[in-house]
Amino acid sequence: MSRDELQELAAGYALGSLDAEDRGRFEALLRGGDEAARRALRQYEETLVRVAAERPESPPLDVKAALLARISATPRAGNGARVMPLTPRPRRSVWTVVLAGAMAAGIAAIAVGLAVSSRYERRLEALGQEAQTLKAELERQASVLAILRDPATQMVALSGLAPSPGARARMLWHEKAGGILVAAGLPPAPPGKAYQLWAIAGQAAPVPAGVFSVDAGGTGSLRVQPLPGVTRVDVFAVTLEPERGVPAPTGAMYLAGKSA
Amino acid sequence: MHEGHRVSAAADLIAGIARGDRGDFERFYDAYAALAFGLIRRILRDPEAAKEVLQEVFWQIWRDAPSYDPSRGSPEAWLVMRAKTRAIDKLRSIRRREQTFVAPVDERVAAAVGTRADDPGLAAEDRGLAQGALEQLPGPQRRAIELAFLEGLTQSEIAAKLGEPLGTVKTRIRLGLERLRAVFKVDDA
Repeated sequence: MSRDELQELAAGYALGSLDAEDRGRFEALLRGGDEAARRALRQYEETLVRVAAERPESPPLDVKAALLARISATPRAGNGARVMPLTPRPRRSVWTVVLAGAMAAGIAAIAVGLAVSSRYERRLEALGQEAQTLKAELERQASVLAILRDPATQMVALSGLAPSPGARARMLWHEKAGGILVAAGLPPAPPGKAYQLWAIAGQAAPVPAGVFSVDAGGTGSLRVQPLPGVTRVDVFAVTLEPERGVPAPTGAMYLAGKSA
Repeated sequence: MHEGHRVSAAADLIAGIARGDRGDFERFYDAYAALAFGLIRRILRDPEAAKEVLQEVFWQIWRDAPSYDPSRGSPEAWLVMRAKTRAIDKLRSIRRREQTFVAPVDERVAAAVGTRADDPGLAAEDRGLAQGALEQLPGPQRRAIELAFLEGLTQSEIAAKLGEPLGTVKTRIRLGLERLRAVFKVDDA
């Protein structure tokens, strides 16, 4: 393998972007103890650390508090499960040796048991979280399907306005089930800001229907619960507002659409 | 100049965390959470999703510190690679969810997402990279690295998206990272 090819594999591996076959080839090099592969990978990983370090961002304080609480609530593998060496003493009786042997075996068994059980606890914890996520996702999908199937559901296309003419969105709305907004092409909201959806019926004041953000690609979605007192909606609109949302629109309007 | 000291201090903290020392964990978090969070936020715009990923990454640090192997890289690299992987996983799951929503509604919405992401200037501006080292790279190299590092695409996906041969994409990524390595003066780590 040429040096360039090795570096291509290492660069792709550090970025996590290798396709399966290349990944397999590079991992085989690492497993085989190929020093050039390891060195190239370390260099590219350190390079990516520097790229990341150019834009640090202080996280919200509650993350640390939540982590420390989680740590306090979860005993970790290894704590208290260390096998203490038994110091041999001269002229021990046979029974002392037997007793020491039995104790050592017992402690070792406890240590192994604790390590195994904590491994399973971690696995169970991960599976539990996965199940919760899947369940929530299923419920979400079921509610989307229910809305899609109902003939009473309104579908409204929203077009981008002056601040972001390329933006667009679709709103599905059902007075009893609520609705879903899917938006694309919106610029990411500045810090402290978020997009807010409004439902407008006739001449009534706009009713706030929730806030949402968009990802780096400009897409975002919002599940809207049924709005008390709102049945048929004539216009849906999206404005840029403070991230907690406001009771009446104050910011620029980015998207709007009339129901047919 | 102080690189060695800094790395070894971080490695000492990881060793402390491996022994279950919560003080060392707090010190490691205080020193490096902003590094990880900055990257996570470049990948995930949703602040709540980014917080969730940061917490999960540091939970892994606490849990997996005993398996940290200094011969494979610095603690910072260990942290940053985990942060990147978890954030990309999250980004992919968000995208899967959005595609589920978008597909039956309007194909054009999905197409619009692709069109916009294809605009490298816009994408770079969105991520606030205007003054970063990535910005110093030639556009095609920067775009390929961004698509891999910040959007989690594989090299084949990048080639398909940019309409270029796979070999070209591989070369661009290598040359781009080599250039960044030179900019940051990363020698044999």
